[in-house]
Amino acid sequence: MKYFNKSLLTLLISSVCAPNFVSADVQISGFGSIVAGRTLDDVTLDNVGYDWSKPPSAENPPSITKEQILTADFYDVGQYNNDFSFKSETIFALQIVADMGDKLKVTGQIVAKGTDDFSPEFDWYYLTYQATDELTLMAGRRNIPMYYFSEYSEVGYAYPWMRPPSNLYWWQVTQFNGVHAMYEFSLGDFSNTVTFFYGNEYSNDNKEMEYYEVLYGGSPSAVNEYWTDIIGMNWNLSGDFFDVRFVYFQNDRDRDVIAQDGSIGDYTPFSQQFLGFGGTIDLSRFTFLFDWNLVTYDDAHGTEFPTYLISAVYNMDDFHPYISYSKADHKRDKRENTQDYEEHYMLSYGIRYDFNPSASFKIQYDTFVDEAVPESGWRYHGDSDTVTIGVDFIF
Amino acid sequence: MFKQYNKKHPSIMRISLLVGMLSTHSVFAEIAVIVNTSNSSTLDKTSIERIFMGKMKKFSNGLVALPLNAAKSMNSRDEFNKAVIGRSSSQVNAFWSKLVFTGKGNMPRELSSDAEIISTISSNQGAIGYIDSGSITGDVKVIAKF
Repeated sequence: MKYFNKSLLTLLISSVCAPNFVSADVQISGFGSIVAGRTLDDVTLDNVGYDWSKPPSAENPPSITKEQILTADFYDVGQYNNDFSFKSETIFALQIVADMGDKLKVTGQIVAKGTDDFSPEFDWYYLTYQATDELTLMAGRRNIPMYYFSEYSEVGYAYPWMRPPSNLYWWQVTQFNGVHAMYEFSLGDFSNTVTFFYGNEYSNDNKEMEYYEVLYGGSPSAVNEYWTDIIGMNWNLSGDFFDVRFVYFQNDRDRDVIAQDGSIGDYTPFSQQFLGFGGTIDLSRFTFLFDWNLVTYDDAHGTEFPTYLISAVYNMDDFHPYISYSKADHKRDKRENTQDYEEHYMLSYGIRYDFNPSASFKIQYDTFVDEAVPESGWRYHGDSDTVTIGVDFIF
Repeated sequence: MFKQYNKKHPSIMRISLLVGMLSTHSVFAEIAVIVNTSNSSTLDKTSIERIFMGKMKKFSNGLVALPLNAAKSMNSRDEFNKAVIGRSSSQVNAFWSKLVFTGKGNMPRELSSDAEIISTISSNQGAIGYIDSGSITGDVKVIAKF
């Protein structure tokens, strides 16, 4: 993958720099966010290393008290603690689109994130072929169109909040290599886009899974996460004051937890289904945003993750105060205890101020409430109160 | 009586404030939406909005629409967005950023003066743009004023 990135980078740089090499019309644009924040207090949460075979004691405490942590970006493990930090969510991205004529374009996004010490990486690279006025074909690396805000979840300028609620956007895989067929049509005054997609993601050295392995006492040399045969569709319907989207996809899941000695731990593969309905309703003074999702596994537990988000924004010229509530739950339908697993909500409020047509200032306060039963082993996020301030921009 | 007068006083203030806010709008120059002189399509405000938001790609006569924006620094851009799209330029840009950075749409091309918009439209059958009413010439057809 790294080799491919480098050769593509070389190709793109040479095509930008050497005019005699190209006939392509190249456009450069970009987006970014400079965000800083911190959590405000301490929290008591489950000791994930608790030894259940021994009685609780000072050496084996069932719960521990430490500084609050808010995971603002699960995929990249971008977290806030009591130290004011710019690294968790700050991001800078450059998009290069080369139009090669004959309805063919290639797009690359070079993204530098604070969580990766700003080392730039090609996060997106894909070809677009405009087959007809209605049909667009794309092939390459893009975000999986999971949640309503997934595809542009890193473009802070595109939505009112600091980020789409992180307690829903928590998956260890957000991108894939695949193909998309996008068909656009009108129904009366409504525009429709139906997209079918298929692809795979072999996420070697998965950062989020490695973080959780270590959190639960492991010391893996790597965790490789595989989402294969990702197949599904999106249906986007929009009118003058609303935009709604339906999504369904399914894929196979597998994981290699590789120990220091190179041995691979046992893991039972399963498949998952993702269902969602979300949208935006724009009533000029007020904007309402919502998303409802259900992820189900066909595993031995009958695992389900029902999640939802509701948010309201008040539009007052360049000021947009907002509030949002997002709730995530984890159920196990085939177990005797179906309910007592991971469960949390986030209540966030803040204000977006459009001080420039291409830049906005935001300040947000998040209350994360971990509703997992104490000492169930699932209360590992812990409550937190977080303040973040930032500027989002596009160019 | 005195009490009533006191009660009314703030609402008069509010009304005059409102009138003041409304009249600020009329102080700004009128915006003319223009197309190529050969373009026979009729467009209502909603259709113009849909063309500029990338939701309608063709005119009623089947011609592919090529919307043209005034540069970000031009007042007509903000005026058009407010009057026709019903949103601030920032909100319109936020809408487009979702499409541009997911490869699902291209923001209308930007031109840096009314003269450039007029010359581009006069030489492109499907082009549509907006200019300050004061800049109108016979090279283009005005289809709406806001």
